[in-house]
Amino acid sequence: MDHLVNINLKINGEDYNLNVKPNTLLLDLIRDEIGLTGTKRGCDTGECGACTVLIDGIAVNSCLLLAAEVDGKSITTIEGLSKDGQLDPLQETFIEEGAVQCGFCTPGMILSAKALLDKNPDPTEEEIKIAIAGNLCRCTGYKKIIQAISSAVIKMRRRK
Amino acid sequence: MKNYFAIGKPLPRVDALEKVTGKAIYGDDLRFSNLLYGKVLRSKYAHAKILNINIDKAKKLPGVRAIVVGKEMSSVLGGEAIMDYPFLAINKVRYVGEPVAAVAAINEEIAEEALDLIEVTYEELPAIFDPLKAMEKDAPLIHENMNSYKHIPVIKPIENSNICHHVQFGNGDTSKGFSESDHVFEDTFTTQMVQHGSIEPHVAIAQYDPTGKITVWVNNDGPHRLRKDLAKAQGVPLKQIRIINPPYIGGGFGGKGGLKEETICIALAQKTQCRPVKILLSREEVFTSTIVRHPSIVKIKTGVKKDGTILAREVKVIYDTGAYAEKGPTVTIQASTAAAGPYKIPHVKVDGYCVYTNKTIAGAYRGYGIPQVAWAHESQMDIIADKLGIDPIEIRLKNILDEEDICPTTRQVMTSIGLKECIEKIKEDSAWNKVHRQNIGRGIACAFKNTKTPSGSATIVKINSDGSAEILTSSIEEGQGVKTILAQILAEELKVPLDNITVSSPDTDLTPFDASSTSSRTTFHMGNAVKKAAEDAKKQILTIASEIFKVGIRDLRIENGKIYAKQNPSKKLSISELITSRYGAGMDIIGRGSYYTEVPGQIGGVRSSQSIFWMYAAHEAEVKVDPETGRVEVLRIRAAHDVGKAINPLTCEGQIDGGVVHGIGPALFEEMIIGKKGEVLNPSFLDYKIPTALDIPEIIPFIIEKHHKEGPYGAKGIGEMTVVPTAAAISNAIYNAIGVRIKDLPITPEKILKAFINQ
Amino acid sequence: MLRKIKEFEYFAPSTLSDAISLLAQYNGNAKIFAGGTDLLIQMKQRKLTPEYLIDIKNISELNYIKYNEDEGLKIGALVTHSSLANSEIIQEKFNILAEASLAVGSVQTRNKGTIVGNICTSSPSADTPPALIALDARLKLISAKGERIVKIKDFFTDPFKNILKETELLTEIQVPNLPPNSGGAYLWLPKITAVDETLVGVGVVITVDDAEDNVCTDVRIALGSVAPTPMRAEMAENFLKGKRINDSIIKQAAEIASNETSPRSRAEYRKEMVKVYVKRALTQAVKRIEQ
Repeated sequence: MDHLVNINLKINGEDYNLNVKPNTLLLDLIRDEIGLTGTKRGCDTGECGACTVLIDGIAVNSCLLLAAEVDGKSITTIEGLSKDGQLDPLQETFIEEGAVQCGFCTPGMILSAKALLDKNPDPTEEEIKIAIAGNLCRCTGYKKIIQAISSAVIKMRRRK
Repeated sequence: MKNYFAIGKPLPRVDALEKVTGKAIYGDDLRFSNLLYGKVLRSKYAHAKILNINIDKAKKLPGVRAIVVGKEMSSVLGGEAIMDYPFLAINKVRYVGEPVAAVAAINEEIAEEALDLIEVTYEELPAIFDPLKAMEKDAPLIHENMNSYKHIPVIKPIENSNICHHVQFGNGDTSKGFSESDHVFEDTFTTQMVQHGSIEPHVAIAQYDPTGKITVWVNNDGPHRLRKDLAKAQGVPLKQIRIINPPYIGGGFGGKGGLKEETICIALAQKTQCRPVKILLSREEVFTSTIVRHPSIVKIKTGVKKDGTILAREVKVIYDTGAYAEKGPTVTIQASTAAAGPYKIPHVKVDGYCVYTNKTIAGAYRGYGIPQVAWAHESQMDIIADKLGIDPIEIRLKNILDEEDICPTTRQVMTSIGLKECIEKIKEDSAWNKVHRQNIGRGIACAFKNTKTPSGSATIVKINSDGSAEILTSSIEEGQGVKTILAQILAEELKVPLDNITVSSPDTDLTPFDASSTSSRTTFHMGNAVKKAAEDAKKQILTIASEIFKVGIRDLRIENGKIYAKQNPSKKLSISELITSRYGAGMDIIGRGSYYTEVPGQIGGVRSSQSIFWMYAAHEAEVKVDPETGRVEVLRIRAAHDVGKAINPLTCEGQIDGGVVHGIGPALFEEMIIGKKGEVLNPSFLDYKIPTALDIPEIIPFIIEKHHKEGPYGAKGIGEMTVVPTAAAISNAIYNAIGVRIKDLPITPEKILKAFINQ
Repeated sequence: MLRKIKEFEYFAPSTLSDAISLLAQYNGNAKIFAGGTDLLIQMKQRKLTPEYLIDIKNISELNYIKYNEDEGLKIGALVTHSSLANSEIIQEKFNILAEASLAVGSVQTRNKGTIVGNICTSSPSADTPPALIALDARLKLISAKGERIVKIKDFFTDPFKNILKETELLTEIQVPNLPPNSGGAYLWLPKITAVDETLVGVGVVITVDDAEDNVCTDVRIALGSVAPTPMRAEMAENFLKGKRINDSIIKQAAEIASNETSPRSRAEYRKEMVKVYVKRALTQAVKRIEQ
């Protein structure tokens, strides 16, 4: 089948016009076609969250999305979080609080946290846990991750 | 209290920036030109003869570049302890998921289609899934040729059986001890098959060059060990194999120790005219066809006086190692040394058995067999305390090892024991008391673990002419913080910021030998090597300075990377200025360091029962049990760990936090379920659950520092210890809460409810 | 075993009638693609290999949550679990549905998966069906031949099977207003961890004559994951009707409900948990009447 689908989308603020095979997963488009390897493949069934990206600000598992369905959408991957070399407050606090160990879950984790804080700038600890419950981590026990997200809340408030 | 420049500081990790910006490179992120994709056909049977493999149709599929089957590599058997492992099944298969054939093709779809076209004819054989049945006298043999396998001298298989190793440790006379006891307790505890759960799957890329040298890029936790294992298996010199690690590994916990996907890549790469071949395992393959934690049966018999003094202990440990020995025999040895617990017991006897079954291969898993024995001895300790009416903390304090006591199993004289401090810290912080509120209970457990001895680490520290430095090391970074710790040690010696230092990832052609980044050994062994190399480099730099300043080396000081004579502190020269002034045409300063542990009692020079250091820890759990559903909520875990010296307290805490949560899973719910035909019924994160952010307790870590005289700055290790006492602490807390004692992991709601109703 | 998804042809119609025509045209060989969180996994497992995928996410007329006093609630086919859980009108008037939506998977799954998709997958352990059954919802099914309205309790036939024809599209969920003095609750026990499939799901809507008297005039007890399809515990419902509700009556009803179930795996424990969770859900629902 030579049927290709034409999609126009933004990835980290840059425009792309692509022809994709319908069965291409968004995860593979990002990693292979575009070459952004920060988004990870962990399980392929939407359970681990390592492939989390933001689509129009909403966190989704890119291993369960077709490239074809993001026509007209704006995608943010972990590489798109820092602007002009300035880290996002979440990236800063993840470093400062020791919330990173092997780092494989980190891109997805930070994006899930970003999606939360962009909609809810003052979440409770329970709300933080719910927001990242779909991002599995085997290294950190989540404690410092939750602390880092709480610290980012304070940083973001101060910067306003 | 020594004032350090970098040591003991909670510095941010050197790799954190890369990781939070998505720039960190892992195995699947490496890009190759001309890449071929490998897929593996796996056995659907737990035990069967391979009668025929027909690859004719698969060969003809356009896009297929290589197919390989086991018979082509029939002389190749790998394995660290026992060489029993074929790269692909040769004459028979021994577990569901065993590799039988593999295909390399121009894309993954074609490789998958080719697998569909391979026809394998099997003749089923009776399969054994129960290790006790496997140990019976006339059990069918899973490895009929076991008697002829090569193995390291310390391994003792029982001929014509499924027992690939039997080890004994002990001291005194246990019959005498029991006869003198007021009470004798006998209990059996079991543990289940558990998955490592690293979020990054296994991946390898292999490529031959025209001279016949193979390069393998692989997320492996012991590149030099892997090189040696591959060379031994294939009968080729070490220099014909080059192992390169990607910069980062996404979690290992012992599960990425080798001889799984990379061996198949190598087999395929032999046939692809020097094109690289990549295999990325699916999550399902990680579950079924890499390694798991040993399921175990631990029988423990303990004799005590009525005041709680332990007089005698006999432990029989059975480890179910699955279809191949893997690291099972050494897991059995190491666990047996710790099986009696960190207690001074005059009469001890431990028998450890490593048994083949037709199930998923069991191997190295965080704790290396010790979580299983700790589960047993710490659960029983509370059973004893309860019967005698003694407080669980007091009975432990009464019996734990003191400085210069001998280890009850290996008779090693024990020093640098921070266990009392761990227990007392918890007792003080938790205001330990036994009065429990409605359905809420508290429990404690303690344990110890050794590190593999002897083992060696070597490193080269290279100071560039601009003052930046590189540590060339074969230690791997899989999350434990290795790069940061090693950089801190170099920074301490040269008094330079961490930013100045790059820590390499392994390349066995270029980075010197390291035994492996396992066994919680890296801070101690590679740390010592880096310290020596740093001192060597520093000496050379100071020699240059002493010539320039015309003072003796002893009169020189280093501060913020600048050297000056103490008599003239206003004239400072940076490391860069010193190097360039001495070597105008360019040169590096090369510092070298090797560290190899020498202890008495080495057996065959490979594995000693005497360990260069032991780690100690105590965990306290507070749980709430819902008596209607049996569900356990872990409210709080206090975890006190004796690390010798925390090179970086922030990363140490991170290890404790992570280890505690990692320990909760197998305690309460993680279990790989094996079906009637030996297949894994839940090989995915859909059905095998690891803890999420909503499943964690409050975690209170304590770092205890009982210096080790040989450790770098007194440091020992931490990584594995953090998962060891958790299950027993939780179980003891459940007993305290509702009076239910479960002896087989995991402690599920069903088991609790059943026991509670039957009370 | 997961594999690369087999190739297919992809359509993204922008009107409902286009989507329905495509369904009719490719009778049996086409699948509707909305959230896709279940569909794509099944396609990776090769359990489903449709030759045509009809992506309905461009049909804006299907993305709505409408409410009025007469007709009650109407939910369009593109509404995700997240939108449902965050909807103020749902939280206010049909909170049992918000609770059930929050039980579905993780944030990522809820952001993509639709409630209609959840119904169409028809997993015995799905969360929204019991809540919708307790609310006595109806479903609008449209094909090229016309439309039909079915009661949700008649929709499921077997595990992962339902009465939806291959040429039909489920376009709308209709939930009638609840009578006064009603309260509802959805409670669930996960299989293992917090983000997990449901082991026992209970959706309850109960109506009493007045808050003081507390005599049950109507009740629906819907159970998920304890039978081949989501079910009503009708014997327990009949036991409750006409009785003054108190703890003892609730406990008895829960036991009756448990006996109506037929779970396949972990059966003994599930039946025991039905007792516990029906009791807790009824207690919770009654409390909400008083509020």
